[in-house]
Amino acid sequence: MIFAPQSCIFRNSAFNRIPKLMLPLLLAIEFGENDADLVRRLQRRDPRAMAELYDRYGRLVYALILRVVRDGGIAEDLVQETFLRVWNRVQGFDAERGGLGAWLLAVARNRAIDYLRSAAGRMRNAVEVPETDHPALFADMEKELFNSDRVRRVRTALEKLSANQRAVIELAYFEGLSQAEMAERMKQPLGTVKTWVRTALKSLRDELGTAVIA
Amino acid sequence: MNCDELRDDYELYALGIAEDPEAGEIRAHLERNCPICVPGVRTARQLTSLLGASAPEVVPPARLRKRVLAVAGGQKASLWNWSPVWAAVAAGALIAAVIFNVRGQRASAELQQAAAQLQQLQAESANQTRELARLNEAFAILNQPDAKQVVFGGAAPQPPRGRVFLDPKRGVLLLASNLPPAPAGKIYEMWVIPKGGAPVPAGLFQSSADGTALHVLPGPVNLAGTAAVAVTVEVAAGATVPNLPPVFAAAL
Repeated sequence: MIFAPQSCIFRNSAFNRIPKLMLPLLLAIEFGENDADLVRRLQRRDPRAMAELYDRYGRLVYALILRVVRDGGIAEDLVQETFLRVWNRVQGFDAERGGLGAWLLAVARNRAIDYLRSAAGRMRNAVEVPETDHPALFADMEKELFNSDRVRRVRTALEKLSANQRAVIELAYFEGLSQAEMAERMKQPLGTVKTWVRTALKSLRDELGTAVIA
Repeated sequence: MNCDELRDDYELYALGIAEDPEAGEIRAHLERNCPICVPGVRTARQLTSLLGASAPEVVPPARLRKRVLAVAGGQKASLWNWSPVWAAVAAGALIAAVIFNVRGQRASAELQQAAAQLQQLQAESANQTRELARLNEAFAILNQPDAKQVVFGGAAPQPPRGRVFLDPKRGVLLLASNLPPAPAGKIYEMWVIPKGGAPVPAGLFQSSADGTALHVLPGPVNLAGTAAVAVTVEVAAGATVPNLPPVFAAAL
């Protein structure tokens, strides 16, 4: 049986939408100054580097946060917080080895999910979010992770998932729900949800092959 | 558990939804720098990072760029790097003027001009140093995982809204939006309101033209004994007791 969620997030799945504005962004990421140089300038406290960081990733960060919190004003606040945190913690980031985009998105996701939990009265940092944006965790990552080919392949892989599989991946990534919380939200047995999660992740892994291996 | 048994949980771990005992086992493998689990989890993190790029595309408002650049000082911040240089140049010019100045009024005028420039640069530098210190205080509070966070605002149509972070050791950080600049001759004043006590002044601030504000009250704060943080409009010199109803209040 296909789970038929009432929430529009499943019917208008983020993963189903065709990108219209992504190309300029991805071109900027792919052909601009490389991330390592940008990180070094951020570490030297060059405010112009912050402008470049925003021009490169701001749209991506805003889109991600807006997808999570679904309120433009709150999203703006959280984008500012995200860049504030990155500006403050960039000294601990390895310019040579680190994946800047992945780190930035991890910080953005954590800020947004933290807000959701706080606004909903759920315990702050209830799951594993706090440690998932430490700069050291992004060492030896692919530096230019968000190139157009890779993002396209991930989108395609997501589109191949069943509706339920996509739903659980979205709930985990964009809402930070645990598997038990997903089961409650979807009114499905926990075992069923766990199966959807595992099969979805396995499908993504199989589809993408070496696409995400640095 | 061995690495083969954990392999299927790498993505769950990267998403933050792995459960014990697997989550604990992976954490332990990572802590001992396991040559299989470290790259495995790294690849999983890359995969989950890419999920973020799948959010529906939107164009952020133009004002957001200005807000973000304000984090780093924006245009003004470029002076953080260069003002000491220009100050040094001006100081050099001043010394040179003293050494090489030989004649009367003209040299004196140049000297006065150089001194004025130096004074202006020093004032700008001092302002920027204060701003940097304020931002550092904000960073310190924001970076505390245990800081208490309170959300305020959100009612129609567009009242001030934002968040207050309270860290028992470092102080109170207020981040607000939709807060128009206070009228001429007035200023915003933050109050920390103890449980069963009178509001305590917690500093003056002004919001920027785009309606955003960042205010820090550095120093220890008694979380358990605090009922709310509020903001009122006061005369420019500030007040010792609130004279008007709060513009907004964040109840703990």
